[in-house]
Amino acid sequence: MSEHQVQAGSDRREFIAFCIGEQEFCVDIMSVREIRGWAPATPLPQTPDFIRGVINLRGAVLPIMELATRLGLQANEPTVRSVIIVVATGGRTVGLLVDAVSDILSVTQGVIQPTPDMACDRVKTFVRGLISIDSRMISEIALERLMPELDAIAA
Amino acid sequence: MDELEEIKVTFFQECDELMADCEVGLLAMEAGTGDAETINAVFRAVHSVKGGAGAFGLEALVRYAHVFETLMEEVRSQRVVAEPELVRCLLRAADVLADQITAARIHGRPNEAATAAMVVELEGWITGHAGAAPADAPPASAGLDAPIEFAPVAFAPMALDPIAPASDDFGFQPMTIAIPDLPDLDFQPSQAVMDILADAPGPAVWLVTFKPHSDLYAKANEAALLLRELERLGSVETTLDESDLPDLENMEAESAYLGWTVRLTAEIEEAAIREVFEFVDGDCELTICRDGAAPESEAAADPIAALLAQAAAPMPVIDPIAPIPTPQPADAAAALMAELAAKPPSETPIPRLAAAAPASDEFGFTPTAAAPVASLPDAPVALAAPAPVEMAPAAAAAQAAVKGGAAPPAASQATIRVDPERIDKLIDLVGELVINQAMLAQRVAEHGFAPSSNIAMGLDELEQLTRSIQDGVMAIRAQSVKSVFQRMPRLVREVAAQTRKQARLVTDGEATEVDKTVIERLSDPITHMLRNAIDHGLETPAERIEAGKPAEGTVRLAALHRGGRIVIEVSDDGRGINRPRVRQIAIDKNLIQPDAVLTDEETDNLIFLPGFSTASVVSDISGRGVGMDVVRRSVQALGGRISIASRPGEGSTFTLSLPLTLAVLDGMVVDVAGHTLVVPLTAIIESLRPKADEVRALGPQGSVLAVRDSYVPLIDIGCVFGFRKVPIAPNEGVVLLIESEDGTRAALVADDIQGQRQVVIKSLESNYRQVEGIAAATILGDGRVALIADVDAMVAMRRRAAPADPVLYAAE
Repeated sequence: MSEHQVQAGSDRREFIAFCIGEQEFCVDIMSVREIRGWAPATPLPQTPDFIRGVINLRGAVLPIMELATRLGLQANEPTVRSVIIVVATGGRTVGLLVDAVSDILSVTQGVIQPTPDMACDRVKTFVRGLISIDSRMISEIALERLMPELDAIAA
Repeated sequence: MDELEEIKVTFFQECDELMADCEVGLLAMEAGTGDAETINAVFRAVHSVKGGAGAFGLEALVRYAHVFETLMEEVRSQRVVAEPELVRCLLRAADVLADQITAARIHGRPNEAATAAMVVELEGWITGHAGAAPADAPPASAGLDAPIEFAPVAFAPMALDPIAPASDDFGFQPMTIAIPDLPDLDFQPSQAVMDILADAPGPAVWLVTFKPHSDLYAKANEAALLLRELERLGSVETTLDESDLPDLENMEAESAYLGWTVRLTAEIEEAAIREVFEFVDGDCELTICRDGAAPESEAAADPIAALLAQAAAPMPVIDPIAPIPTPQPADAAAALMAELAAKPPSETPIPRLAAAAPASDEFGFTPTAAAPVASLPDAPVALAAPAPVEMAPAAAAAQAAVKGGAAPPAASQATIRVDPERIDKLIDLVGELVINQAMLAQRVAEHGFAPSSNIAMGLDELEQLTRSIQDGVMAIRAQSVKSVFQRMPRLVREVAAQTRKQARLVTDGEATEVDKTVIERLSDPITHMLRNAIDHGLETPAERIEAGKPAEGTVRLAALHRGGRIVIEVSDDGRGINRPRVRQIAIDKNLIQPDAVLTDEETDNLIFLPGFSTASVVSDISGRGVGMDVVRRSVQALGGRISIASRPGEGSTFTLSLPLTLAVLDGMVVDVAGHTLVVPLTAIIESLRPKADEVRALGPQGSVLAVRDSYVPLIDIGCVFGFRKVPIAPNEGVVLLIESEDGTRAALVADDIQGQRQVVIKSLESNYRQVEGIAAATILGDGRVALIADVDAMVAMRRRAAPADPVLYAAE
């Protein structure tokens, strides 16, 4: 566990970090509802490729987003080690399929660097900032930007 | 402001309930099953509406409700007789009141002309009939009021007031008569009577005994406040009755043990005292007796005069059981019943006889006191009756019982209001529990535990428990159809008035329960069917008499459970469906071929075809020719079916069957290209394995299925949903013949059928979005999500796909 507690301040934030391939990403812990193992999802017709389908989350039907595909990365077939991070955003609950959860981070706002100007649209859209810890670079996912795309598809 | 609005919403909800009570009461009066308590209930309902409206400053509503209330007050004090014509007027008045409430709710303007007309009519009743009462009988002649209002209280005022002075007039002296074997005098109301004697005649002294039930406190009322309120009416002497107070160790903190007796000296009417306890009515034991006051009315009513005459006559043999005619046998019986009901069975009524009789001895007019009671021909131990002075609810129940248990009084049910979301959440969780349990059972089986092993048996118990919980939770959301049925009598009255027909509504099975989601959608189809029954089904009174039927037609609305569904039947005793005419119309409108051969049943069901309307004149009752096809469509959208059975000259019956809940659905579980799908059973006409020669190719890819001389387009489910590119050969799979809502048929091709199952409907939209061709999702026994197909959308998708193909894809 990384213990980068520089100071206890009101701007301290916690993140769940996870891996997709070689890259590390994180999401704000406040939006994470639970983390569960991979279970086969029921595919949906008429659906973009990054939606793996739906699973049963205690009686609710939960769509599973393959984050790798969403970010334009190489997606691996899910294994027993794959993990679904259940996040709540914009009034919806969605499962994010990632390779593995790696860490829980506690950092101050100041540590988060703005995303450099990249040519890649997807990076610009989905990465809100970068956190550097122990020479690891962890990208913070802008969850709210993952989801509105769904409405655009629906429209 | 928001808070006030919230309270207002609650007020209007209560208004709905109150108006329903009001209507139930009025209908009971109309049917002749009403009693004093029914009238009281109606009065209270109107009164409460007025009170609430006043609090919110809804002045128009208050003004109207006041007139209504005034008339009800006249009725309950029997100054105006509740004759049938008046009850009909009151029913209409209640309709107008309901309109006023609706207008106030939506901030609209009520129909002022109708209101004004109603007010005039109501006032006509008030003035026209109040004048008929004896002019010199002031309203305080409690002897006449009380028996109707609070029956059992009748004893003191009725028997004593008019008579005490009368005995003076007649020079009647109190005398003592020894009655052997009547030992016990320890009886409270008679003690009260003695007090009366001691004081009479004097200023008006009331003896109020008041013993709260725990309910009174549970409803956040406070005895001290009520006692303080009494203090305001006059000078009081309050004594505490703590005789029921148990030892500390036996005491329950939430129970009520204390009672009070208040001697209230004030020149007021009994009603004023009643008013203090108005809001705890039924939550306490309350007796109010007049303490030896002079009668305020010289003009005694006839029955009383008769009693006086008896009192004046040489003392008859004191045989209280001897029947003596009396004006209020039912009331006396009620008092008796109340007393019997209120006392533990071990306590024999005999001491009460003892108590009552000696008390009367001292008065010296036993016959009158005992008269109302003794007159009951068959009442056992009728003597017990003068003693009890119980409060309304028990008395009302007793009264109903006495009258042969005609209509049980609306028992006040303790209910709780719960946010439906919480219940939905609970239902979800229980659904999850069921699935979890099923998965566990599967794992246990996989591990090879014997069915007799402890684990397997424990699992069986768990399964039963889980089922019980599921049933229980679903029952929470179940509601009786009463809420829908209650709105219908008014509809029938209005439609009958508009069509100048006479119709009587009979309802049955009001207590039938169905899921809340279904209840909400029952109202429209029932409304439509009832309108149809009266408008088209019933004949005019003249025609009915000619046909040898009573002028008043009967429309029956019934609900029942049948085969896991709720069935609503609307039947009339009208003329039945005119089949030749229906057939002709169908031919005229090109709905059937002129040479089509139809059974009676098929002909009857023609009325459900879109665009069919038998009314030669489009009336404003049955709609604008959209008629029954709209009803059928809305019913089908709920997974329901509707049918009609008709007998010429005898009437028609519409039968509507709906699933008990919209939370579950009967579906056919099918396999398609490795996926599991559910097809709603309501859409499926039949499922079959077609032979190779029944499948005909049409165009390069399309094919049709020959079903009894008609060709139905084949749709491969897997292709529609993109599960596979190339359709399987229909004769290798299973074909589901379906009919979509607009009546077009199609044949869906699946790989295999797993079976028929009831599934819980889960929304896709809540976390994702709508998916074309998919109605919803469900969770199967193995915990996986399966999709529920939207048959109509699938057919539509297929149709849209067709033009994209350069060649004709599939003929439809």
